[in-house]
Amino acid sequence: MTLYLFYFLSFLAVLSALMVVVSKNPVHSVLYLIMTFFAIAGHYVLLNAQFLAAVHVIVYAGAIMVLFLYVIMMLNLNADTEPQKGKWLRVAATVAGGILMVVLVGALRSAADTLPVTAHDNQIGMIKNLGKVLYKDFMLPFEISSILFLVAMVGAVMLGKKEIK
Amino acid sequence: MTEFLFLLKHELILGLILVILLIMKIGSKSMTNSSLISLMNGLLFINFVAGWFLNREGVLFGGMFQNSSLLVFEKNVLSLGTWIICLQSSAWMKNHKHLPEFYMLMISTLMGMFFMLSSGNLLMFYIGLELSTIPLAAMCNFDLEKANSSEAAMKMIMSSAFSSGILLFGISLFYGMTGTFSLGGPSYNFDGSPLQVLAFIMIFSGFAFKLSVVPFHLWTADVYEGSPVAVTSYLSVISKGSMVFVFASVMYTAFRGIASVWYDGLVVLSLVTMIVGNLFALRQNNMKRFLAFSSIAQVGYILIGISGSSESGMASSIYFILIYIFSNLGAFGVISLISAHTGRESVDDYKGMYKTNPMLSWVLALSLFSLAGIPPTAGFFGKMFLLTAGAAKGNYFLITIAALNMIISLYYYLRIIRAVFMDKNENSLPSVQGDFGSRLALICCVVGILITGFAGGLYEYILSLSHGL
Amino acid sequence: MFTPALIYIFILIVVIFSVTLVIAMYSTYAERKVAGFLQDRLGPNRAGPFGILQPVADGVKMFMKEEIIPDVSNKWLFILGPSVAMATCLMTSAVIPFGSGLTIGGTFYPMQVADVNIGILYVFGVVSIGVYGIMIGGWASNNKYSLLGALRASSQMISYEVAMGLSIIALVMMTGTLSVREIAAGQPGGHWNVLYQPLGFLIFIICAFAETNRAPFDLPECETELVGGYHTEYSSMKLGFYLFAEYINMFISAAVISTLYFGGYNMPFIGRFITDPNTLSLVGTAFLFGKIFFFIFFFMWVRWTIPRFRYDQLMNLGWKGLIPLAILNIFLTGLGMWFFGKVG
Repeated sequence: MTLYLFYFLSFLAVLSALMVVVSKNPVHSVLYLIMTFFAIAGHYVLLNAQFLAAVHVIVYAGAIMVLFLYVIMMLNLNADTEPQKGKWLRVAATVAGGILMVVLVGALRSAADTLPVTAHDNQIGMIKNLGKVLYKDFMLPFEISSILFLVAMVGAVMLGKKEIK
Repeated sequence: MTEFLFLLKHELILGLILVILLIMKIGSKSMTNSSLISLMNGLLFINFVAGWFLNREGVLFGGMFQNSSLLVFEKNVLSLGTWIICLQSSAWMKNHKHLPEFYMLMISTLMGMFFMLSSGNLLMFYIGLELSTIPLAAMCNFDLEKANSSEAAMKMIMSSAFSSGILLFGISLFYGMTGTFSLGGPSYNFDGSPLQVLAFIMIFSGFAFKLSVVPFHLWTADVYEGSPVAVTSYLSVISKGSMVFVFASVMYTAFRGIASVWYDGLVVLSLVTMIVGNLFALRQNNMKRFLAFSSIAQVGYILIGISGSSESGMASSIYFILIYIFSNLGAFGVISLISAHTGRESVDDYKGMYKTNPMLSWVLALSLFSLAGIPPTAGFFGKMFLLTAGAAKGNYFLITIAALNMIISLYYYLRIIRAVFMDKNENSLPSVQGDFGSRLALICCVVGILITGFAGGLYEYILSLSHGL
Repeated sequence: MFTPALIYIFILIVVIFSVTLVIAMYSTYAERKVAGFLQDRLGPNRAGPFGILQPVADGVKMFMKEEIIPDVSNKWLFILGPSVAMATCLMTSAVIPFGSGLTIGGTFYPMQVADVNIGILYVFGVVSIGVYGIMIGGWASNNKYSLLGALRASSQMISYEVAMGLSIIALVMMTGTLSVREIAAGQPGGHWNVLYQPLGFLIFIICAFAETNRAPFDLPECETELVGGYHTEYSSMKLGFYLFAEYINMFISAAVISTLYFGGYNMPFIGRFITDPNTLSLVGTAFLFGKIFFFIFFFMWVRWTIPRFRYDQLMNLGWKGLIPLAILNIFLTGLGMWFFGKVG
């Protein structure tokens, strides 16, 4: 059951991620991206990390993507205004992407047997354990990211105060 | 507890300055720009001086944070550079409306670099990296009324987001391979299987973006041109310098096991970087763009030094960055002064500058000579040590190409000097009088260029710090 | 596959759905009756005794009206919008415990569809998805008024979600759990959370008004400025879905407020009179619905009493008023917990 769910979610994630790139209409791309996030949140639930799943949905699907949509709708971007690339560029991109994929697949295949198998604590995704890890082992990065948010906010507010002549 | 204070001293001082700025921004509206500039110059100077005392070595937070005398030295070099930049850009800053924010962003990026340098863990490294790049993008946009300043910020944030994505992909592969984030921990097993090499390539590309190594350099010139001069010099000196420090140490610690793999890549990239940087620098007509490409070429030389993969490689790149800070800031100081007073930045505007601004011309000439690596200046010794470190591997083809490139670079540095000293121009620059701060900054640069070249013990001192790498 | 537990859950879902829909239906009736009462007039009184069949008549009207999909609109998204709005508001009730549970024949049947250990976050997740219903609908209509209404709605909901989340953090700090069931069970008798979190409750209920787009925060459909807001182009049952979703949201908000801050199915002194746990549970459910009905009435009371905010006032209140207050509340809660020695 879990395995089928995993395959279904993975299929959904990959398919909607592809559609993000392929869609001509930016609004459709954003909606597909939201679908991708949901599929990934589903993966988190399968890994018994409900907290991460919920936060992923709230933050990414619920807040960040709304801002994306907001901007795209305000600028009224749609299929007509989307710049379309030339034919040769597409061919080149396909070849380059294909080669990268071959490399990735090759590297992954060779590593499949040698990956270290570590004991996985299936309770690590529970919020209590996660909180302990976050505030004990990873306290420094956690605190520094708060500084990062503070200055990012300072920068954004400063740019927002720009007076357009 | 006290151990914590000593080890985190550099970061705590910067944090304190950040808090002071925040409180000042919220609390008092009466502070004028010039008094804020003097205050900040003072605080940054204290920061630089305090960096030399009461240092300890050790690790904190279970290996997340580490400090050593080499790292302390690197941090002090960066503090010095930041102080000089703040001194020399006061003319530009005086009339800016959002000065406290500018300082806040600058201090936080410096703090991010410090954390990045001290990180013993890829997660910590990544957060330090973001802290040192995201505010920089906002800084690029500080010429609020100029459209190409916004363009620069946009390009900066896009390219840094893209490179962060690649870097993160590499880090996740790295984690998948080793089961740990820590760089060189006990359970560390990096032996060069294809997937590990792939992880390395991804992380390496992330670095290459930030260092503007050639296939990843396309953002550099536009960002440098659009940003205010103070930010451009900060980008090209401090930001790049910190990346070089981190890059070298990550190469020597985390990826020591696959040194044979990355040596080839590094050689190819350094060749391409030098050649492309130099060829493009030949035909630039904007001073900032010109220095952007020249700085790309300089990174090529640094990569040669790093490819030596030894203590001397580490020491020579740090030594070179120190010299590069003085030389580049000397050049940028002159450009920044002229740009702030006249708004002119093209090479043609500099024709006949010697007639009106003899002192500035001499400073510019000295800095450019040092960048070009002409013998009596420090730049010569910097490049010499880099090439010696690179030659340790016996790849003389690389060294020959590097030498040829130095000759090409000589041509375009001399082109500027010729324009300044020999060309005639009826519409030459007016005489520019800098204030005390910018003059002090230029004096520091000149003294630095001379001292770092002639004080023979400096390189040995850095080399002694690099032991144990 | 079809274990009794699963069948029970299925039945429970059906019951909760129908109860939700009926309550939402009669909320429209109640709204007009309350408006009538507050404005000293009668309200609907033609269809059936006291106008009790009015919602049915409205429903028939909605279904029979002509269905118009604008030519220039994006058809798929135009249909997706109201569907998302409806689906998300119906999903929230899954984690709300409507009673402490029944024990029949030795088996325990909780009166809650799913006891997720992150219940509150689930509610937040679903609410944050609810924005898309409005945004997609507003954009797909290809109408400037609709788009402006949608943008207003989304920015309003995002802004107030922040304050709402912060106000909940203080509550979670006190209760030490994210599970809605445990929070409800942790308020036995009269130990309601509102007594310990008055400020948090105040912030939460203001945000709940903004989240449901109810007056005084009904700017997304402000008739004087935006014609009809995001549903200007909608007609027939699609419009019905949007209007209905608003009432369902109101019901859900009332249920969440009652559960989180007003003890859920708990009532003081009730344990002294009734000892049989099953009866107690059913009475508790009745009390919960009583609380819910009170809050629905409160929503309507406010709507017909307080005038609409201006947009900048709305944003100022959210960002400069509620968020700092909520952070202060977190700080005070932490201080209080430390003072009373509840920190582990």
